[in-house]
Amino acid sequence: MLAGGLVLAAILIAPSHAAAPTLIGKDAPDFVLRALDGRNLRLSEYRGQVVLVNFWARWEGDTREQMRVLDRINTTYLRAGLVVLGISVDEDVRRAREFAGAMAVSYPILFDDGPDLGKDYMLQKMPVTILVDRAGVVRYSVVGFKRGDERGYLEQIRELLRE
Amino acid sequence: MNFIRRVGLSIVFGAALSALNTAAVLGAADVTPATPQPAAPTPANTPAADAAGADAAGSPSDVRTLDQEVQGLKKDVIDLNKDLFVLQEELLFPANTQVAVYISMDVGAFFALDSVQVKIDNKEVKNYLYTAREADALLKGGVQQIYLGNLKVGKHELVAFFTGKGPMIRDYKRGATITFDKGVGAKYLELKITDRVPKHQPEFLIKDWE
Repeated sequence: MLAGGLVLAAILIAPSHAAAPTLIGKDAPDFVLRALDGRNLRLSEYRGQVVLVNFWARWEGDTREQMRVLDRINTTYLRAGLVVLGISVDEDVRRAREFAGAMAVSYPILFDDGPDLGKDYMLQKMPVTILVDRAGVVRYSVVGFKRGDERGYLEQIRELLRE
Repeated sequence: MNFIRRVGLSIVFGAALSALNTAAVLGAADVTPATPQPAAPTPANTPAADAAGADAAGSPSDVRTLDQEVQGLKKDVIDLNKDLFVLQEELLFPANTQVAVYISMDVGAFFALDSVQVKIDNKEVKNYLYTAREADALLKGGVQQIYLGNLKVGKHELVAFFTGKGPMIRDYKRGATITFDKGVGAKYLELKITDRVPKHQPEFLIKDWE
């Protein structure tokens, strides 16, 4: 009973910004999805570039703030070889498209309404931000977002861009 | 029965492969410290040093032989891997049930491909979204294997839906159907997108390669 209580307490106290170690060091699962502008984009076609993949959902409170942060990162590091892809996992694609359209970010927003990608990337909680290196390997994975997290993103992005 | 024999063979191959992998790793580990020695012009080439060194790492000729053996083992591992891959393909898609569907595009002035959905016997087997780069590769003459699967011998129906931008850059969706006989050999079908210049329209065909 006491042990169960301790485990529960540990789960509750544990930070939401836990890394997803199962994907780090592995090849990023490939995907092809339709973007807001109608193009189809495939992750493996960005091999040779550093890719930041952000899985987001409309209902998550910090999504707007995170998208603004990623927009700034995209405009700053685009010419250095960084690719930012936002992926909506919202089942209601129509509303997700409206949301993405209203946010008007400079990076492509893709829409996934199937179960496969979520399984491949082991998505359990939104948002999830993943950094893929030039060889297509997942090097960084963060669940959740809070103000100031961009410093961690930038540190990792700069390191991967230098490689 | 043949299937069981092949599975058994693949298990034997797998066991041999893991044994060889282990041997290769062990061999590499044994050789690594001694590898630079034959070429290095050091006092180790003197008879006395040779005799002393022979106890520790073996003579240069022994090292060379061991190195050759390791290289031979590595080659065997690669060959076995290749055989395993072929066996796996044969097991998963044996020739008597294999169906392969390819797609090609000729000219494409009246159609910009966006996606293809393939249904066999009213069951969706593939839904493929094309990136601009992939569509461009098809336009340049590339042929893509869009589906590889198994079917029983007999009559089957394949329906392909092509989505994209048609003439005047308007949304365009067309289907093509073929009924084919699956015999005892592998079946190859080709989805062809061509231009019908007189009508200024794209044309979608399915070719049965006998």
